[in-house]
Amino acid sequence: MNAFAALTLNGFREARRNRVTLLIAGFALVLLLCSTLLADVSIASIERVLVDMGLSGMSLMLVVLAIFLSTSQLGREIERRTIFMIVSKPVSRATFILGRMAGNMLTLAVLLLAMAAIFWVELALFGYPMRAQYGVAIAALYVELAVLSSVGFAMSSFAGPIVSAMVTAGVYLAGHLSGDIYRLGESAQSAFLTAIAKGVYYLLPNLDRLNFRPHATYLIDISGADLGLSVLYAIAYAGIMLSLSVLFFARRDFK
Amino acid sequence: MTEASPPPILPIEFKAVSKQYRLGFWLSKKVQALKSLDLRVEQGQIFGLLGPNGAGKSTTIKILMNLVQASAGEVRLFGASPSDAKARRQVGYLPENPAPYDYLTGREFVTLGAQLAQFPAKEIKKRVDEVLDVVGMARTAGLQIRRYSKGMVQRVALAQALVGAPKLLVLDEPTSGLDPVGRRQMRDIILHERERGTTILFCTHIIPDIEALCDRVAVLVSGKLVQEGGVRELLTTKAPGVEIAIEGIGREALDALKVSPEAVHEIGGRLLVRVSGADSNALIGQIIAAGGRVTQLQQVRFSLEDLFMDVVNSAGYTASAGGEIVG
Repeated sequence: MNAFAALTLNGFREARRNRVTLLIAGFALVLLLCSTLLADVSIASIERVLVDMGLSGMSLMLVVLAIFLSTSQLGREIERRTIFMIVSKPVSRATFILGRMAGNMLTLAVLLLAMAAIFWVELALFGYPMRAQYGVAIAALYVELAVLSSVGFAMSSFAGPIVSAMVTAGVYLAGHLSGDIYRLGESAQSAFLTAIAKGVYYLLPNLDRLNFRPHATYLIDISGADLGLSVLYAIAYAGIMLSLSVLFFARRDFK
Repeated sequence: MTEASPPPILPIEFKAVSKQYRLGFWLSKKVQALKSLDLRVEQGQIFGLLGPNGAGKSTTIKILMNLVQASAGEVRLFGASPSDAKARRQVGYLPENPAPYDYLTGREFVTLGAQLAQFPAKEIKKRVDEVLDVVGMARTAGLQIRRYSKGMVQRVALAQALVGAPKLLVLDEPTSGLDPVGRRQMRDIILHERERGTTILFCTHIIPDIEALCDRVAVLVSGKLVQEGGVRELLTTKAPGVEIAIEGIGREALDALKVSPEAVHEIGGRLLVRVSGADSNALIGQIIAAGGRVTQLQQVRFSLEDLFMDVVNSAGYTASAGGEIVG
């Protein structure tokens, strides 16, 4: 097994044995099951409530977990000095970061698949099919988690865990509003404010491009081109963030 | 005409290496941790690094292990830069107060170490069992590290350093946290590794360990190399002293004698006097002439601890930990 695979599997093992991961996974399960209770008391159609609640629950829990994992691991490794015995091995720091990221993405993938399976069972119990839009929304959520994790790694490669978590959470919220920020800038009277708004728009990830949950809830068709472009944009953004984290991390002293 | 053979590749070579840390929110405070350090460690040597707190020992080791980057100078690890992963393939490192992943079992952690050290996959299981046995952890290797005592953590960390069968072992305070049995085992492991031809760089505050194990020693004070040489050679630079126990005369009478001792202690109504070997005969004669009795006479060997204290004191060390703040 090469160093990258060893680090990836170790990251997965770490997350699996972490109480926070188990707590979030348990909470997500409860949230998914609760959506069946809400379906009975809602005036909307049962399928819409199940899909809306189910996908939102998955998104919320996994976003929290992605931020927690990506922003806490490097800081904890440095603070507890576990990193001394890892980066002194014949492993490049880039491999270390990428292995860590891959470990997180493996954890998130396993949890997302487990949640998707429960979601599918719920739909089946109520007699609804698993539609293509649901699958796209779940896959796009995974891509969104990758973007968010890459931002978390970029931050934690030079900042502490608390600052990194706050900034990454801020990027998540602002990333879903970046379209509004752009429109706000366009309608502003001042050229300076317009420039600032455009700058923020281009700097932040446009996470709304990866939000296909409304399409799933309201059964809106998703164009392949739109999906493809969104995924390409997300891969490019995550690639830039990971490159920055490798760059910052490679220059860092571990005192 | 015969061609001159190329010089041997040294496991460790520091040429005029300096390190300045920048601290504070604006990184405006500078701390000079190392000042133009020159160091060469040859193949098969056990090389000890000694120095008070903040002398730069750990910084030296961290630069070598690619954990910290030198501000100036050149560092070579088996002829390559420490940032070269291939050079680090030949090194096993035990950091001070090691902190392995506590969610892993001892065996899992050492296996991870072997995988990262690029040990052949087919031989990993056998090698992991072998090193766990060497460090005395074979029986408890299945427990999670969070359940280990400090000494057990130190042993598992040593196992991960050994697992890649390194040509160079870098040990930072290897006996810290170990009981007397563990310290003896650690010494035996170090000596066994030397027999295997492994070069060892180790840094400790326990001077008897350096004296017992090392071929060469370097003393660092405030980031500067102030003494370096073979341990035996350094210990013979100063003649052994003599310790004399005296009864029948007081401190004032002793102070009035022509030969002044190096140290005097008053214990239980008698004086314990330390004097250089050359002055001992003259002092004994004067004590007897002054009415005193010599009740005990013992040769005192000059120890590495004495040398260390001499060197540290003459380097003007003041007991404040950390490097020198330069700005």
